[in-house]
Amino acid sequence: MADNEWNKEQIIEIISRNLEQNLHDIDGKAVSPTSSMRDYGANSLDIIEVVSASMRELEIRVPRSELTQVENIEELADKFLEYL
Amino acid sequence: MKPEDILKFSLADFSYNDSSHVLKPPEDFNLWADDPRIGLAMSFFEQPLNGAPTARTRLYHRPTGQRRQMINLTSYNYLGLSTHPEVVEAAKEALETYGVGASGAAMLSGTFDQHEAFARELAQFKGRDGCMLFPSGYTGNLGAIQALMQRGDVLVIDEKCHRSVVDGVQLSGARLATFRHNDAQSLDEMLSRHQDARRMVVVEGVYSMDGDLADLPAILEVCEAHDVALYVDEAHSTLLFGENGKGVAEHFGLDGKVGVDFGTLSKSFGGIGGFICADEGIIRYMKCYASPFQFSCALPPPIVAAMRKSLEVATRDSSLRDALWKNVEHFRSNLQALNLDLGQSDSQVIPIIIGSSVEKLIQFAMEAQQRGLYLQPVDFPAVEADARRFRISVSAQLTEDDIDEACNIIEDVIAKPMGLV
Repeated sequence: MADNEWNKEQIIEIISRNLEQNLHDIDGKAVSPTSSMRDYGANSLDIIEVVSASMRELEIRVPRSELTQVENIEELADKFLEYL
Repeated sequence: MKPEDILKFSLADFSYNDSSHVLKPPEDFNLWADDPRIGLAMSFFEQPLNGAPTARTRLYHRPTGQRRQMINLTSYNYLGLSTHPEVVEAAKEALETYGVGASGAAMLSGTFDQHEAFARELAQFKGRDGCMLFPSGYTGNLGAIQALMQRGDVLVIDEKCHRSVVDGVQLSGARLATFRHNDAQSLDEMLSRHQDARRMVVVEGVYSMDGDLADLPAILEVCEAHDVALYVDEAHSTLLFGENGKGVAEHFGLDGKVGVDFGTLSKSFGGIGGFICADEGIIRYMKCYASPFQFSCALPPPIVAAMRKSLEVATRDSSLRDALWKNVEHFRSNLQALNLDLGQSDSQVIPIIIGSSVEKLIQFAMEAQQRGLYLQPVDFPAVEADARRFRISVSAQLTEDDIDEACNIIEDVIAKPMGLV
């Protein structure tokens, strides 16, 4: 799939799946886009891994300095879209 | 990575190596690091000092390729003990007696009479019955946490704790949980969330990038309510805070209530090493399971002898820390008069917060160092992206003239260009 074919819903799915894989005890399909990863018990190391894995899947590199103000999963997806 | 985005990237962005060969850095990293603007920023790293870390030191200024004499606002030599004549003499004498290195790990052949005596003296100083030494501060936190925690446990730490704490919990296999900086309510929520696990809480006495103190009374109250042990990293506070210099716990009158008291020998002590003070029973256990203790060579005996003298000099009266706090007060009031953002600092670590601009940070750093001020820039991810800064380490060694001259330079190269004065 070409980079620019990803839509926001798919990006949220990718982030949610990676969150599930890192935290094990949550259901990725039940993740709310308006929640923060911390709401599901993610720590700073989990968040770094979820963001990294999602960026690798999307084949993008978003500066971490741009992510510090991101409050929830939907905002993260929006930020990823800017770099696709 | 687009060329126009290069300055948005930082060291936080390249830890994952996507190249096919382990010995090849990521292509994007090379592209980023080869950019002259990034090269200039990185040239501030590892500038070699050509002399002792005294108030005025000589160093090779890499950005300009010149050797310069500078007012030293960066070394951790808070009390000047690194070059104190009695400390240096103690090291020399031990060097003659014991040689350079310990030639072994502590458990086998690396423990000398100096190590035993120093551990006893540190325990006595901290009012504990047990103490163990580590080869560095980093390995002290790493080893203690790795030995204390295990898979299934949860280590709950302030979000601003040092990397050594994070690395220690990763090595232990325990789960990491962070609470909002100095926020007792956030700590309470996090402890409640993990109430079924064995837990320990870690905070720092003085936070190294902000210079603020742990809100120990509130944090300890929450720990006691949950019956959870508190580990306090007093790396930047030992020998400085409290009536006897024991640290921030003593400053708050809570030193008898801390579970584990960690300190370094590389800051106020002026040498290198780390130490843990706690109950003898848990120290005996940790010595058997803390890998950096078991599998590193013990501290060099001349260093241990010097550190014993540092402890003696710093605690026989309060003159050194009195001199430090006088300097801190003078420095802080001068900086406040320049309307600079000093964050919440309440210690000898005073940040000057510039904001989000990398360009300004590097430009100010270059001008300050060209004017003879050894003041290092601190960039994201070491600090928040919108709070890039300089960090002043005030030392008792500085004279009032040194501080006044430093503040004049800071006024010219930082406060005036920022429109603050």
